[in-house]
Amino acid sequence: MSTDTNLSKTITDPEEAMTHSIQTTVLEGPAALEATRASKAAAHPSFTSGAWSTVSTLGPGIITPLVLLLGLIAAAVIPSVLAPSGPLEMNPAEAFTAPGTAHWFGTDESGRDVFSRVIHGARSSLLIGILATVIGLGLALVLGAVAGLGTRAVDFSVSRFLEVLFAFPGLLLALLVITILGPGVVTTTIAVGLSAAPGYARMIRSQVLSIRGSGYVEASIVQGKSRAFIIRHHILPNVAAPLFVLATLGVGQAIVWASSLSFLGLGATPPDPEWGSMLSLGRLYIGNAWWLTVFPGLFIVLSAATTTLLGHGIQRNLKDK
Amino acid sequence: MKNRQPAYRAEHPSAFPPQDKGRSAQPADFKKRLPLALATVAALLALTACGGAVHADSAAGSSGEPISGGTLVYATGDTEPSCLDPIVGGGVPQALVATQYLEPLFFQDEDGEIAPWLAKSWKWSKDRLALDITVRQDVHFTDGQQLNAETIVKNVAYIKDPQTLSSTGILAVEKVASVEKISEFTARLHLSEPDNALLEHFAQVWVPIQSQKALARGAEANCLSPVGTGPFKVESWSKQQEVVLTRNEDYHTPAPTAGHTGPAYLEKIIWRFLPDHAARFAALQSDEVDVIDVLQPQNAVAAKADPALDTLIGSRPGHVVNLTLNTTEGAFTDVRVREAFVRSVDVDAALKSIFMSTVPRSNSVLSSITKFNRQNPEAYSTDVDKANRLLDEAGWTLRDAEGYRTKDGQRLSTSVIQNDSILIPVSVLEQFQHSAKAVGFELVISQEEPASFNAKRYAWDYGISPLYYTKNSPSVLNIVYDSAHIPSVIEGGYHANNNGLAGPAADAIDVALHKAAITGNETERGRLYAKAQKLIDAQYLSLPIFDQQTRLGFRSDVEGVKLLSPLGMPTFYDTWLDRS
Repeated sequence: MSTDTNLSKTITDPEEAMTHSIQTTVLEGPAALEATRASKAAAHPSFTSGAWSTVSTLGPGIITPLVLLLGLIAAAVIPSVLAPSGPLEMNPAEAFTAPGTAHWFGTDESGRDVFSRVIHGARSSLLIGILATVIGLGLALVLGAVAGLGTRAVDFSVSRFLEVLFAFPGLLLALLVITILGPGVVTTTIAVGLSAAPGYARMIRSQVLSIRGSGYVEASIVQGKSRAFIIRHHILPNVAAPLFVLATLGVGQAIVWASSLSFLGLGATPPDPEWGSMLSLGRLYIGNAWWLTVFPGLFIVLSAATTTLLGHGIQRNLKDK
Repeated sequence: MKNRQPAYRAEHPSAFPPQDKGRSAQPADFKKRLPLALATVAALLALTACGGAVHADSAAGSSGEPISGGTLVYATGDTEPSCLDPIVGGGVPQALVATQYLEPLFFQDEDGEIAPWLAKSWKWSKDRLALDITVRQDVHFTDGQQLNAETIVKNVAYIKDPQTLSSTGILAVEKVASVEKISEFTARLHLSEPDNALLEHFAQVWVPIQSQKALARGAEANCLSPVGTGPFKVESWSKQQEVVLTRNEDYHTPAPTAGHTGPAYLEKIIWRFLPDHAARFAALQSDEVDVIDVLQPQNAVAAKADPALDTLIGSRPGHVVNLTLNTTEGAFTDVRVREAFVRSVDVDAALKSIFMSTVPRSNSVLSSITKFNRQNPEAYSTDVDKANRLLDEAGWTLRDAEGYRTKDGQRLSTSVIQNDSILIPVSVLEQFQHSAKAVGFELVISQEEPASFNAKRYAWDYGISPLYYTKNSPSVLNIVYDSAHIPSVIEGGYHANNNGLAGPAADAIDVALHKAAITGNETERGRLYAKAQKLIDAQYLSLPIFDQQTRLGFRSDVEGVKLLSPLGMPTFYDTWLDRS
């Protein structure tokens, strides 16, 4: 199955959907960026009105998830300020206390404050999400660029290799990596990153290919510009914007995957607060203490939704312009 | 009718299954388990629970005469056996299912008294080195073979054959040197030395009597369809799904405590493997299955509030669910450090919170229903001051940046391996980890799959291992504490003694246990086992936590669910479905 036929058929795979929509964006990319720069330059009479103008330009589709994301980042950076107690502080006598004023999200089977654990859990979830995405995108950038800029034979080899990796569902590939490397937070991060890489790489390859065939690249070639110049001035800047969108979308997915692995007992080790493992333990008490699953679950949804919405918001924003 | 407790208070046993297959990770399961989906389900369930959590506690009652027929669906939370013949390996998951189709020579009641079952009578020689067992003449296996003296000869030979890979059965007949047929229906067992627990051994489902013709097929075939004399027979086994058992229409050897004679009421039992605790309980609630085991404490609480459900919880005999300390290396070579660890953790708090006060504490290495058990709360109580004092005495006086004690630059640290099949959830270990840290002791929890759990245990690659051993006799102590059982008895590395204690202290325990096992005087036996327990307690080789239990939850219209003495395994011979 070739990449090209994939793009032309009905899109059902979300990753393909992203490729498709990003493809459209990118074709218009340079012009759109120019337009943004121009509009920003024109609307800069003062700082406050400028900021407001930026906010209104971005719209609620970006602002809302951005605010939520900032909240999560705050939880990740300064959990001790936001959480009323330490994530590991136990008080078995207060086990299974329902949510209330003393414990906003209730307590777990060892009397630990669920709110504090959820807040402290933000750090590992966000960190895994971001680092895994960086690993995935970094690897994908290399593979995608090599395929997109290389000779036909190189492109063929890399593309077939990516398709083989694609044969594995992402999470299964991550499990395979963990089986080899052993469970733990670091391996989970690497596993999630590696599993996400093939998807990104295929998108980047098609990006690079489309930019390589564009008129302004041809013009540069005619002008006698070097290969390095073209990569630096045309290819990279035009891949960067959609890459940023991909990264934002990817963080959400990486958080869900990392939580899934922790849920299976392959990620964070006890007693570290991690949303996936909290969900897994809480699930046993689902009929007795609903708060043990609802709150960690809600935060997984929230963080994944936030980053995904932000990614889509940015993507739409670029497209609109 | 609600929350029925077993009438007997005798005994039940179980060894951790060394041969049991681990749960295999299936791709389809992962998708189902995605947290996003779960969070949604959690939220929905929570809303449902808010709406209708309170139920009247009305007891379900039988409408009268037992009805014959019907299919019972049983969902087990224990691991799926790799062999349906409990001789091979020899774990609780095998005993649970095999109790339905295999029977032993003797029956042991709740008071520990031995009665004949497939045997008709028995007679000891004066020197107690020979035991004549005469079997009933009217017993046929479900393959048509008749039970006779030759059957006993073949069964013991099968257990002792190294190819069979028996771990529980082989230890039970350890003292049996040879078996000879002395008449058509009488066999003579020659012992290497007296064994006062021998009849108890022959009263457990790990030493059942199987058709000699079936055994002759070899372990591989016998594992798929063992042939016994029980009320049901193995019809089929779809691995990782279910075992189908059908009624033995010619059955006429019920246990002495059975409620009726003749064939079982149920026509068929579907024995499903549903290791996920939450899913299993949900299947029971939604009437997809009729009976579940390994009922979690929190689900027992919920079942008690649900008029459509009943529970049956009973202790099993043997070595209690405990944390066994590996004394072969590291800080645990020092008895002071072992005691310090035991003193530092708060078992009562864990049972109260995580087990919701539904499981009583054990302060004895022997189950509360095992003869001669000696509760010793003095030895196993929490005492943080003493823990600190002992660690200071042992030279662990310095602290590192994280607050853990150190000695010669080494941190005071140990690892505990964990697998849910050993009944100690990770949250209990988290509490212990927390309290151990307070005295400067690092406890690293390593969650394992059943296969890796066993691999680490066989290789002595642990500081602490959760364990239990089911056996209907105080002689379980000879199995798990005698240093003779430190080396592996079968291929693969399984060893029954997991503390590894050597030296004069171990010798003293060995001597006491040996004397207790060979004495012909029951009072003396009790005194000697008490002495052995005292020596074991003083060495802090394990931390007893609670009795092993058979924990059943079932639909209220399932009548006559019972636990069978002496192992406390469920039996469905008297069970019928009140669904007319």
